[in-house]
Amino acid sequence: MTFYFGDILPYLPLLLQALWVSIYVTLIGFAVGSVAGVLISLARSSRARILRTAAGGYIEIFRNTPLLVQLYLIFFGLGQVGINLDPLWSAVLGLTLNNAAYTAEIFRAGFESVPSGLREAGSALGMSSVQTFRYVVLKPAVRNVLPSLTNQLIVLFLFSSVGSVISLNELTSVLSDINSQTQRTLEVFTYGAVLYYLTSVVIAMSSRVAEKTLFRW
Amino acid sequence: MTTSTLNGSPIIKVTGLSKSFGSNRVLKDIDAEVAENEVVCVIGPSGSGKSTFLRCLNLLEKFDEGSVVVTGHDLAASRTNLNLVRRDVGMVFQSFNVFPHLKVIENVMLAPTKVLKLGRGAARQRAEALLAKVGLSDKADAYPRQLSGGQQQRVAIARALAMEPKVMLFDEPTSALDPETIGEVLSVMKKLAEEGMTMVVVTHEMGFAREVSDRVLFMADGVVVEEGPPKQIFDDPRHERTRAFLSKIL
Amino acid sequence: MSGGFAQYLPPLLRGTELTLMLVAVSGVVGTVLGLVFGMARIGPLAPLRWVAAVYINFLRGQPVLIILLFIYFALPLLFPAATFNRGVTAIVALSVYAGAYMAEIFRGSIEAVPKGQEEAAEALGMGYLLKFRYVILPQAMKVAVPPAIGFLISLVKASALVSVIGFIELTKAGRIISTINEEPLQTFLIVAVLYFIVSYPISLLGRWYERRLA
Repeated sequence: MTFYFGDILPYLPLLLQALWVSIYVTLIGFAVGSVAGVLISLARSSRARILRTAAGGYIEIFRNTPLLVQLYLIFFGLGQVGINLDPLWSAVLGLTLNNAAYTAEIFRAGFESVPSGLREAGSALGMSSVQTFRYVVLKPAVRNVLPSLTNQLIVLFLFSSVGSVISLNELTSVLSDINSQTQRTLEVFTYGAVLYYLTSVVIAMSSRVAEKTLFRW
Repeated sequence: MTTSTLNGSPIIKVTGLSKSFGSNRVLKDIDAEVAENEVVCVIGPSGSGKSTFLRCLNLLEKFDEGSVVVTGHDLAASRTNLNLVRRDVGMVFQSFNVFPHLKVIENVMLAPTKVLKLGRGAARQRAEALLAKVGLSDKADAYPRQLSGGQQQRVAIARALAMEPKVMLFDEPTSALDPETIGEVLSVMKKLAEEGMTMVVVTHEMGFAREVSDRVLFMADGVVVEEGPPKQIFDDPRHERTRAFLSKIL
Repeated sequence: MSGGFAQYLPPLLRGTELTLMLVAVSGVVGTVLGLVFGMARIGPLAPLRWVAAVYINFLRGQPVLIILLFIYFALPLLFPAATFNRGVTAIVALSVYAGAYMAEIFRGSIEAVPKGQEEAAEALGMGYLLKFRYVILPQAMKVAVPPAIGFLISLVKASALVSVIGFIELTKAGRIISTINEEPLQTFLIVAVLYFIVSYPISLLGRWYERRLA
């Protein structure tokens, strides 16, 4: 059995373009999802019981059901009631909602890791709880959970492959297409595996760089 | 250090203050007054409730019964805006609580810019003056991590002073410090007292209490057992409990 | 919805059964693989450490789908004997995925055991296998349970992906049914509920265990 890795080279631009789709779908989902995650996390520890239960319920639902089923519900389920989202927006919505649940838990751990003394100091200086949160708690909290956040970003990136099932033209679906065309199955999927792996490594390294520059203290 | 009562009424007036943690009564019906420019030290054994008492003065601890009026604010009234109270009352903590992610000067500038809405230029000037006052001008751009405990505590003092409070509360400010650095913090506090700041200090540093305070409160088991000028408390205590405590530590 | 839906419950429940089977088998195989690779990763033999590191790091940088598709389509080209049916492919893929993640969990938990324990065992004259079996692993296992339970839930969710190669576990059953009844919203909501019923108790178990440890 001979292998022709060179045969895939002409498809490299296509692969990289598809990789880019995977990446930006991930980035949007991560950015919006993380902001939502902070809010959900705050709701989770609020004094209003209704907010606490709603946030808790949201987190449990999204963490205990598969992303694939969530995507099917968005892509097909919403379509049934007339809301037709294209694969791209379905995937972005799905990743965002999913990521929000996971980052909510990560941020909760982050906020709890900030010593309460710091909060008291902010309070004693006359800062409102919003001000204390924004200027005293947030940055140390994020710094403490940076490894978890990085891991979550990588996981989300790998999850983006599920978009292929609803015909999003990200890397995995393009790999299947090229496979059908060339029949060079082993070679194609090896390229794919390497691309996914290298991107994960780049994300991990970027995080270390970010830690050194943004969180210099 | 003279005790002046400028307009006759005390700047802090505590009446019948009581607090329980669950079934444990930590503060029992405490009455106390602090006049303007007065330095009051609170001493006593661990578990006497002295820190809890102090923290009730800026409502970091809520109390169950009684009244606390600080710089004209009634802390028991629900209408009272806590943030306004805390602009008048500064606090220095045992564990410093300096903000690790901000440079020293940024630590001092944060509250004046965000709470007092001071312009950055004015805030910086104020911060630089205060850092000079506590002897840390050369550390303005350092991060707290790079400073010793004593230096961090001095930053915390400058940070609290930046709000130009009328009263400064100190909660065992030197208990977490290495012996070598205790002196530098105490001398800053002494300077503050000489300048006329109203201070309430919970401390184990009896030398400081004797030398600097106008009045000393001795607390044990949630009550103020005895109070009076330092000379009386340290040299001629009237209560057995006070005598017992002092004999163990002096 | 309502009335007609009862007819879809049996196939959905059958799908759930198969999901549970997938998770149970690949969970066990994955745990064994994880223990082997985890110990190799921090063991005394450098070539083994290297092989384990490659396996663990490369696999953890892959989407589950890629692992699945690779084993289903590409592996048989390398090793014709590795032509499995859908069910076995699903189990192999999930086990390989689980192995990589469990290896990291075991590595972390073994490293969490204080070094003094290992030194005490060695001072008593225990060799490699003895010290691991009686001193290090028992303590490591306790620490490993919470993250392992957390991963178990990930495994349940990953099992949904084997639907793409046509294995009829819960998600695939839902997909088939929704094509027939043209009501994907209700169908997949029930599918989601079924996954939730499987996963949520597991996560509660994990939290209970964590509280017990503290």
